[in-house]
Amino acid sequence: MTKQMEKLLAKVQKPGRYTGGELNSVVKDLSKIDIRYAFCFPDTYEIGMSHLGMKILYSLVNERDDAWCERVFAPWIDMEEQLRENNVPLFALESGDPLTAFDMIGFTMQYEMSYSNVLNMLDLAGIPVRAEDRKSLTPLIVAGGPCVCNAEPLTDFIDLFMPGEGEEVTNDVIDLLKIAKRENWSKDEFLKKAAQIEGVYVPSLYTVDYNDDGTVKSVTPHGGAPAKVKKRIISDLDTVFYPEKFVVPFVEAVHDRAVGEIFRGCIRGCRFCQAGFIYRPIREKSSDVINKQCKSLCDTSGYDEISLCSLSTSDYSELKTLLPSLLDWTQEEKINVALPSLRVDNFSDELMEQLKRVRRSGLTFAPEAGTQRLRDAINKNVTEDEVLVTCRKAFSGGWTSVKLYFMLGLPTETMDDVAGIAELAQKVVDEFYANPNKPKGKGVTVSISVASFVPKPFTPFQWEPQDTRETLVEKQNHLKSSVHTRKVNVSCHENHTSYLEGVFARGDRRLGKVLECAWRKGCRFDGWDDQFRYDLWMEAFEECGVDPHFYANRRRSFDEVLPWDHMDYGIRKEFLIKENKLAHQSITTPNCREKCNACGANKLNGGKCDAMC
Amino acid sequence: MRCVRVWFSKTGLSKYISHLDLNRCMTRAVRRAGIPLWYTEGFNPHPYLNFSLPLSLGAEGLNESMDIRIEGEMENGEILKKLKEVMPDGIDVFDVTDPENTPHDIAFAEYAITLQFCGEADKFLQSSLEALSGKELIVEKPGKSGRKKVMKQVDLLPNIQSCQMEKVGDDVKIHTVLPAGDKMNLNPTLLTEALFKVSGITAELIYITRERLLTEQMTSFK
Repeated sequence: MTKQMEKLLAKVQKPGRYTGGELNSVVKDLSKIDIRYAFCFPDTYEIGMSHLGMKILYSLVNERDDAWCERVFAPWIDMEEQLRENNVPLFALESGDPLTAFDMIGFTMQYEMSYSNVLNMLDLAGIPVRAEDRKSLTPLIVAGGPCVCNAEPLTDFIDLFMPGEGEEVTNDVIDLLKIAKRENWSKDEFLKKAAQIEGVYVPSLYTVDYNDDGTVKSVTPHGGAPAKVKKRIISDLDTVFYPEKFVVPFVEAVHDRAVGEIFRGCIRGCRFCQAGFIYRPIREKSSDVINKQCKSLCDTSGYDEISLCSLSTSDYSELKTLLPSLLDWTQEEKINVALPSLRVDNFSDELMEQLKRVRRSGLTFAPEAGTQRLRDAINKNVTEDEVLVTCRKAFSGGWTSVKLYFMLGLPTETMDDVAGIAELAQKVVDEFYANPNKPKGKGVTVSISVASFVPKPFTPFQWEPQDTRETLVEKQNHLKSSVHTRKVNVSCHENHTSYLEGVFARGDRRLGKVLECAWRKGCRFDGWDDQFRYDLWMEAFEECGVDPHFYANRRRSFDEVLPWDHMDYGIRKEFLIKENKLAHQSITTPNCREKCNACGANKLNGGKCDAMC
Repeated sequence: MRCVRVWFSKTGLSKYISHLDLNRCMTRAVRRAGIPLWYTEGFNPHPYLNFSLPLSLGAEGLNESMDIRIEGEMENGEILKKLKEVMPDGIDVFDVTDPENTPHDIAFAEYAITLQFCGEADKFLQSSLEALSGKELIVEKPGKSGRKKVMKQVDLLPNIQSCQMEKVGDDVKIHTVLPAGDKMNLNPTLLTEALFKVSGITAELIYITRERLLTEQMTSFK
């Protein structure tokens, strides 16, 4: 650690975020390394260190003898100020070396509100933010994560995207970059060859033309790049790499615990949920593999909590085998097992008995909408009865508070649907008081958390207009005035943020200049309410002559060319159109385990999908 | 169940681990070590750890200690061996003993402080020595009045047990013994800040090392 760094650290909050040196972090001998990879999470240390994908890819790359992967996070504003004031470039945690010393710099794009942090981090490293201003092969700027299913707003800044799952393609790109470095390829030469790798999207090899009405006319590939970029998936979760060790942070991360991934994809097909579509097809990991992986992680970290990770824990087909085998040793070692993402329609007595064996935490369910009609429209196949029965079970099991998640602004929503949220919450309260064995002297708390719906690419709602902020505020007020009891707490999301998220989620390449303009005005950490500058964003749209409503609040026709149409996530467009039409008739679609609905994602996996076995 | 005192140093990068984070870090370390821990018997069982005296963020410590509770048979030497294997960089466990004192016995702490200046070390040293031989050296210290948090005025001079200062190159080295523990505790930065104030010269960098903890009788805390 240099004296200069010590001086900086003396002036910032939580200096432990910037020192590295955590247990299980990897330091390598540079003389044996061909490729240095800086894995960047464009948010704070505490958030980035909670992210499973980063843990997997960090360990995966560091398994190689010829490559060294290090971690980089967005410095908090006090540290940014110190770095800029003292002309210290942004550095990686393991070596402390500036990002310019790296061959490849990768960003994981988990949410749209982190986009401005990507530009800020590149700039803090002294790297030109625009891809065209970076002439040399290295550092190559790459990105992956769910947001790159529509990477278009980021195409001005990123050289290469890796849509889909990263375990194989990351190594493929590193292999090619190693050859390119050895043989002194130009950046263009490298990018053309990289575009031939399955699961690589090189945006500079595609030209986008627009119609007079501002919609996309066509996307044309050049230089042999594929017309459709297919996302990469891992075929077999039992054999794919999974870390034996996690880096254990000193500073407490948001999720600071061992994580066992149990399956990828989701059988449910909730029409608003992007994750439910872009991670298809379903692939499960066997319970004994999960059990072993969890054991190894706990042994090497000392963690006292394991969280099972998937989109819907209770849909894991081997849950009945997994839980007892986990509890066998976790109880002995005083380790808590957390089961997030439970559903109300298969929350069995048996599952609850097992939950009671582990440390009790809050219970959270997501009915998403207040009335049956709207739940049918969004294909959240949950009935009011199921919600109430589950809450009854929870209350008789001793719980005195439940949290319910809802969304406002869903397609076809009326004010009656909004009031329905309050009515459902009231019925849950009534369930508590109807329980003859309710704990004495204790009241019930039903917390309602209401997000604003943001239409996302690759969902049946990708053509839908997002509610305007005015409408959302009206709905939020209507909801609050429909609640007549203090047993129900309502908390609503900030709407400015959802609006901007909506713009970028379905944006095109013309948003790149807006993003750069807003960042130059000082926008970063947009996902943080205390940092978000809506006024500056609106100035940026104005100055760039870009209308945000065009992206957020416009209904698209089914035959419009969508900015992400050249990305192939396996899901057929006809399937999404059919689902959209069913939504408008409030007709549900059975889940994938009941019946295959031919979404098309199984063709990514040679026709295999674990939902049907 | 028996209590053992684990002795460790906390140097280098680990000085940036706050006390709260150290607690979590050590809890995980003792769990990894595979020693027969005693767990609390409440609803949320966890190993019992008690640090003798928290160390400020940014300060190094050479003789830090924490008490852990052991259930079952394991000798101190074996516990030491197991703990040594699982510590993160910067935290070195060097001894495991049966406690002789209780943390309440801690009355003082011995510090080595290095102040790095850009050229004005002489002037600083002179005015500091004058201040230390003066009548009083008042500082403000956060304290409590009833339940309310207030700033309290404290005169450092009667509280400083000893303080040697010397100039080495551009650095000023201070060796001092200050009150520490649950009765009266003076953070060494109170002393350095006071000296910066009277001299009008602030160090570029401050290194603080807590060398050991002392009892009322000025013997090492054991």
